[in-house]
Amino acid sequence: MLESRGVPCVAIGAVRVQMEKTQPPRGLFVPFQLGRPLGEPENVAFQQRVLLQALGLLERTDGPVILEDFPDDPPGWLDTHGWVPPSLPDFGTPADPASWRVGFTAELDALQPVWERARARFGRSTVGLSRVARTEWPALAAAFVNGELPIVAGHDTAALALRFLCDDIKAFYGEAGQADGPAPASRQLDAWFWRGTLAGRLLVALRTAAMASGNNAMKTVGGRFFVPAPWLPG
Amino acid sequence: MARLEDIPQPTRDAVANLPCRSFDTHPFVAGPPLAQRRVAILTSSALIRRGDPPFPFGSGEARFIPATTPAGEQLVSHVSINFDRSGFQRDRNVVFPLDRLNELATQGVIGGVADTHYTVMGSTDPAAMLGSVSQIAGQLQQERIDAVLLTPV
Repeated sequence: MLESRGVPCVAIGAVRVQMEKTQPPRGLFVPFQLGRPLGEPENVAFQQRVLLQALGLLERTDGPVILEDFPDDPPGWLDTHGWVPPSLPDFGTPADPASWRVGFTAELDALQPVWERARARFGRSTVGLSRVARTEWPALAAAFVNGELPIVAGHDTAALALRFLCDDIKAFYGEAGQADGPAPASRQLDAWFWRGTLAGRLLVALRTAAMASGNNAMKTVGGRFFVPAPWLPG
Repeated sequence: MARLEDIPQPTRDAVANLPCRSFDTHPFVAGPPLAQRRVAILTSSALIRRGDPPFPFGSGEARFIPATTPAGEQLVSHVSINFDRSGFQRDRNVVFPLDRLNELATQGVIGGVADTHYTVMGSTDPAAMLGSVSQIAGQLQQERIDAVLLTPV
């Protein structure tokens, strides 16, 4: 739509069938994971290759629709041998909201120094969407597990507050999981989070509580936006 | 990767069958050599500045990103949970390649980098974004930008 306003555009696209349908004036299909249009974090040379091929399409004159394929998979797709997830005690699966609060507090406390190493390593953190301090996460999560709908400053509804709390929890663990050693493949991180941490089980419990809620927004948001389908139990 | 067969179900079918808008016309605008062009990024990752409200569900809005925004102030607020965030956690350039563009400008490969970049939430119906397209186009023309790189997540 911008091209029709006189601005030349080039799109990087990770789903070829969608590019074939939308027919952008210039498109570079990249066989990368969704969420990584440049392919490989911290790999300057690889990112530059993607950029140069994409931007190079701007000099082509054989439009009106040009679709090219980037030839290579990103090296980080394969599992990383030698990556070890943070070591955590087994906190089990709590049976009631108070136990979730205690267990989640203990796991967060155990992970805090690891996450701080990650923040130092990457010079930043992507935690922050919930606008809730990390120390307040366990009490807030326990209230939601209990079926309550607490008001959180900065969010219009309890459903959205919980949605972004879930995002912050995933970001905290995702960053902690990358604090040390080589970069894991994203599926290694996912497997650790969803199958190896109390927080992963907590998000499943929050989804269950949201689905049982009489609040329709909570039901919808919880059902669709807490736990990716591959990690739903059963 | 995002070869269709590598995406887990049910996301794979949702992606493959996603209704995509088709266009009756195919505008194609020429421009000067790359070394003379100023490039802006348009990312569909619903990138926000820390402290700003996340994109609402279904929002067709566009937000402007000053090129001076520090990486540590940027958060992905996209509604979808079906794409990877761990790459962005390590390096914003995997979604928002501003540092890479600056390097290309320094090397003289491109003419320059825009002062303003743009973000939308990609899962939104494009019909809801028409007003945003006009806003973005206006700013692009004001800054005399002659290349836009779209980076969907």
